[in-house]
Amino acid sequence: MTVIKENWVFVETDLNKINPVTYELITKMKQISHDPVVAILIEKSDANLETELSEYGPDKILLVKDDELVDGDDLELTDALNKLIQKQGTPNTFIFPATVVGRSVAPRLQARLRTGLTADCLDLKFEDDLLVQTKPSYGDNIMCEITIPNHHPQMATARPNVFTAEKENNPALKIEEIDNLEWEKDTKLQIKSQVLPLKTSNDIAKAQRIVALGRGDKTEAGIGIANNLAKKLHATVGVTRPLTDLDQYTITEQIGQSGQTVAPDLLINLGISGAVQYTAGISNAKIVVSVNTDENAQIFKYSDYYFVGNALEFSKALEAIL
Amino acid sequence: MDQKQISKEILLRMVKSFTENEVAPYDMEIDQTRSYVNELLDKIKKYDFLSTMLPEEYGGAGFDGETTAAMINEIARGNASLGVTLEGHFKSIDQIVKYGNQALKDEYLPQAKSRIIAFSMTEPSGGSNPLGITSHAEKKGDEWVINGDKIMITNGGLAEIYCVMVKTAPKELSFFVVDKDMEGFEYGKQENFLGLTGVPVGEIVMNNIEVDDNHLLGKVGMGKEIGDSAHNDARVLMGAVLTGIMEHELNIVTDYATHRKAMDTPIIQMQGIQRKVADIAVAKETTKLLYQKAAWLKDHHQDYEEEAAMAKAYGSRSAVKSGDDALQILGGYGYSLDYPVEHLIRDARAMEIAEGTVEKMRTAIALIEAKNRA
Amino acid sequence: MKIVVCIKQVPETTNVKINEKTKNIDRRGLGGVINSYDLHALETALEIKRNVGGEVITMTMGPDDFAVSLRETLALGADSSILLSDRAFAGADTLATGYVLGKAIKKIGDVDLVLLGQQSVDADTGQVGPIMAELLQIPQVTYANEVIAENNSLLIKRNLDNVAQEITAQLPLLLTVTDTINQPQYTNVVEITKSFAKPITTWHASELQLDDSRVGQAGSPTIVRSISSPEKAAKVGHKLTNDPREAAAELVAILKKQNILTEED
Repeated sequence: MTVIKENWVFVETDLNKINPVTYELITKMKQISHDPVVAILIEKSDANLETELSEYGPDKILLVKDDELVDGDDLELTDALNKLIQKQGTPNTFIFPATVVGRSVAPRLQARLRTGLTADCLDLKFEDDLLVQTKPSYGDNIMCEITIPNHHPQMATARPNVFTAEKENNPALKIEEIDNLEWEKDTKLQIKSQVLPLKTSNDIAKAQRIVALGRGDKTEAGIGIANNLAKKLHATVGVTRPLTDLDQYTITEQIGQSGQTVAPDLLINLGISGAVQYTAGISNAKIVVSVNTDENAQIFKYSDYYFVGNALEFSKALEAIL
Repeated sequence: MDQKQISKEILLRMVKSFTENEVAPYDMEIDQTRSYVNELLDKIKKYDFLSTMLPEEYGGAGFDGETTAAMINEIARGNASLGVTLEGHFKSIDQIVKYGNQALKDEYLPQAKSRIIAFSMTEPSGGSNPLGITSHAEKKGDEWVINGDKIMITNGGLAEIYCVMVKTAPKELSFFVVDKDMEGFEYGKQENFLGLTGVPVGEIVMNNIEVDDNHLLGKVGMGKEIGDSAHNDARVLMGAVLTGIMEHELNIVTDYATHRKAMDTPIIQMQGIQRKVADIAVAKETTKLLYQKAAWLKDHHQDYEEEAAMAKAYGSRSAVKSGDDALQILGGYGYSLDYPVEHLIRDARAMEIAEGTVEKMRTAIALIEAKNRA
Repeated sequence: MKIVVCIKQVPETTNVKINEKTKNIDRRGLGGVINSYDLHALETALEIKRNVGGEVITMTMGPDDFAVSLRETLALGADSSILLSDRAFAGADTLATGYVLGKAIKKIGDVDLVLLGQQSVDADTGQVGPIMAELLQIPQVTYANEVIAENNSLLIKRNLDNVAQEITAQLPLLLTVTDTINQPQYTNVVEITKSFAKPITTWHASELQLDDSRVGQAGSPTIVRSISSPEKAAKVGHKLTNDPREAAAELVAILKKQNILTEED
């Protein structure tokens, strides 16, 4: 088997839009490798996503215009990507976004190619041609360094929002359109509908964004403005223990030791002082923003960004520009 | 692993997850509302918790004493009241299994799956002195006619079947099993206790309840023996509840002391705090070993009266003391009704009294020691 | 419908540390539990059985004491279990694991539906399901959050990152499920005792007609070079400007740059 010195990146498209994680992967691969970065783009025959994709400077775009394959299931995509490799040669690496699609197609292709795959990478680097992959395990409590020394392509899925996408003009970009891939159809699965989902989750433990209210913001006005802010942000409202005295909040919304443990991407704390009982429940939050009038509030030690001042005023200002 | 070990592990996995998700989050609410919120008792029945140590021939799971105690320990980590409600039911089943005639077992044990059974000795006229009671049963033809008033019954009002101690002669104590649906059965007043507030404790009034010989538990005159036996079984399980309380206290203080800082150092680094935390841990482990040994002896048909008394006496005193230490470590939070420490002290305090006072336990232990020496 | 649910036994907590001496994960005092996602897969299987009838078989690969977890699935309502246990399986990565599980599915024969949780909470890969589907040459649907069974097909709903899909799938099929698909039951206490009447069969490597080069360490293309526990660095808070309006604008700009807020926000 000849290995071609190329790094392939699978371009994820959702309903005719490129998922921005693709750009992050292209930028990262360009930063760590001298070999060409090749974007694998499957799109509708009348689409023109390659224009947008070009802005991030891949060295080559392998373009498959196929109205059926765009909506292909995992089995069909696997077959098509395998055929593409048979046509073009085996790339040294093949990277997918760690999205639902990437995490479903990549392992299937891996099994077809009988190579290795590392899931959900947080970092990638090269040692000569060897791709060194850093993956989290045990809910991010352990980091593993993984390599695939004797098989190709070296496959990985990489987590969104870890690498930063950067636009770059690449005058050497080549777009190569591939036709007659002759992938095998799977008649057993039928995708009946695909729609943009409404994101409404009331489950605070699973919420991606949370606006949390504390004792310092327990007034009717405070609750009202927090609710408006949450609505604008598509966030769920959480509370500290004292607020569960109010009729509208129970333990289901309570964050902390005697309540729920949360892990949102964004947590905004309004009028929360930061007692241990509360902060025990927020250690898995990604970005923590806190607002408190007390400059020495404990909560600031658990925050990425903080505002010293009135939570009402800040929330109003924030809501106004969203 | 043999069947016994495997089933114990599966049971404890389930109870741990059940406690984490269904019990512990409601601990404060149960204490404050004085009731099992969140349909907890329906869930307890649905998943057959009530049948844990019920023998298989009566539709139960047939777990031994050690496993049953471990299960109660786990539940009490989440909420002590629920542990005590189960303890009250299990010790009653134990006595029916041990002393009941076949007809009584066939009638009531299969019902234990869904109906709680309570055990009742205390009356306004006496607790620790059983001969002071006034309830009595009189034989009239083939029937026994029972009259009297029993108070401070664990699960009283919640339980549907009651094992009651009555006099069958001036100096003769006997036990009968009565059902809340029998004619002449009435509920009386509920107690308003300081701790273990989830457990209903109440009164029943018996007005000419008529039962046949089959409802006699054991034989006429066996009241004292059956009462002692129930106490012993209850004390083992109370050791498990107390261990659960101390595990809860330990969780709270270790979590707090590792996060709370004074002068930028977590307070767990300070010797004064360490001493308290270590004392709680030692007391917890000691109580655990005591109840486990008592349960093991019971499962192996050896005397366990002394170990059961030790588990309860030492465990209750220690859990109150540990709660007090925990309160001190948490300072203002510990003293706040918004945090669980204060109710753990109230819960533990109940067990210095119920099922025989600490003083009575010491008497029992001392006399057994003296007898063993002699 | 003949359903096989593949389960994995994992440590009871993911809050694990590395042992300084062995440089490996410290499992001292850690009990095992069934991977939580797999409990949702089992509940899905039991629901399908309740609705259209059939047989639920649970299977796992691992040492003999993983039989506890299989016994637990029997107490939860599965009909029988298979334990794949052999020294030769040790050191398997997802590819080698998927290979052995796939071979076992073939040996069971006439399986209509293979069910797994979306991923395990220890390795966090979610790869074994798709690998099995590929080896079995059957279609797959991953991350399902609703399943309605009809006699010979399934109606499935799933959420991709930005798209909600509805799929009709004919059998045989491999399905992985999320933890929002259902609420698993707790094990019934009496059923634990009763479960001992149901069979757990152990299959060793020799019974599965395996290609030795595809099993265990030999069949694993990936190599774990090292593991470490990342220190969760204390947050160094950035103080926002004193004026609320300016501070809000500053925050929004920062959050957009970090992709925490999107352009739509």
